[in-house]
Amino acid sequence: MMKYHATILIELKDGILDPQGRAVEGVLRGLGYRVENVRVGRVLEMELEAPSEPEARESALSVAKALANPVMEVYALEALKPLQEVL
Amino acid sequence: MKVAVIVFPGSNCDQDTRWALERVGLKAELVWHTEGSLEGYGAVFLPGGFSYGDYLRAGALAKFSPVMGEVRRLAQRGYPVMGICNGFQVLTEAGLLPGALLANTNLHYTCKEVFLRVERTDLPFTSDYRQAQVLRLPIAHGEGRYYADEETLARLEQNRQIVFRYVEHQGQGGNPNGSLGDIAGIVNERGNVLGMMPHPERAVESVLGSVDGEGIFTSLSKALATLA
Repeated sequence: MMKYHATILIELKDGILDPQGRAVEGVLRGLGYRVENVRVGRVLEMELEAPSEPEARESALSVAKALANPVMEVYALEALKPLQEVL
Repeated sequence: MKVAVIVFPGSNCDQDTRWALERVGLKAELVWHTEGSLEGYGAVFLPGGFSYGDYLRAGALAKFSPVMGEVRRLAQRGYPVMGICNGFQVLTEAGLLPGALLANTNLHYTCKEVFLRVERTDLPFTSDYRQAQVLRLPIAHGEGRYYADEETLARLEQNRQIVFRYVEHQGQGGNPNGSLGDIAGIVNERGNVLGMMPHPERAVESVLGSVDGEGIFTSLSKALATLA
């Protein structure tokens, strides 16, 4: 068994109003930043055990699928590395 | 017939819901969310509150509670299942009702009275109301903006699955959270699983400011009497 470190990104689908992103955008613009279309998502990090990298990937994607709500969110496996490379 | 009121870690309207059920003569019991069986219960309530602290998303972690398998089984067998506020969020997260409840457009946790129009009276939860009756009920939520894609919304309209809509009444009220279609409550296609954001259990005695929520419980009481 190998240990891996996974980073999962969960975001609202495009086109769904994100009031949190809008509030952040308003503050940023107030500070003088010329930004637009700010969206707020979520990052989940975890360590997981698997016999191989493909299986670790499969397991991490299965976690992401369980935690994201397909009605309004999309998920992606942002990174997957052997744990010793992260430490 | 006994009614189960499921208690998740962080539920806080469980006692009120039991009170509202018992006031109309129903026997209600609090059931902890790790319970594996709902044998002997004729209806299930998922109460309001903050299950799992609303972590991840409101209702997102409660859907994995052991009791939810039984709630799903009862729903599929046609038993009345109702989710109020956080309970509604749990039902959508669990896929027992379509759509999702997102952060209120104004980002405020909103605690006030709203007006609802009753769109259906042929359900086990609404038979004691009149069609188009306007109810005054409290809301208390931060994530109550009903969202579904256009196709789902069209299907809800076509199947008459929208049970309660936010309305203006005498210049007051209106849509408090940005819900699409002014949706405050929906039912599944079969008509036995209802979810709503407002709190009928907080409006069952005049001392609470409104008795407009009582109809939910008297309707259910009659429905269960005919099933028994």
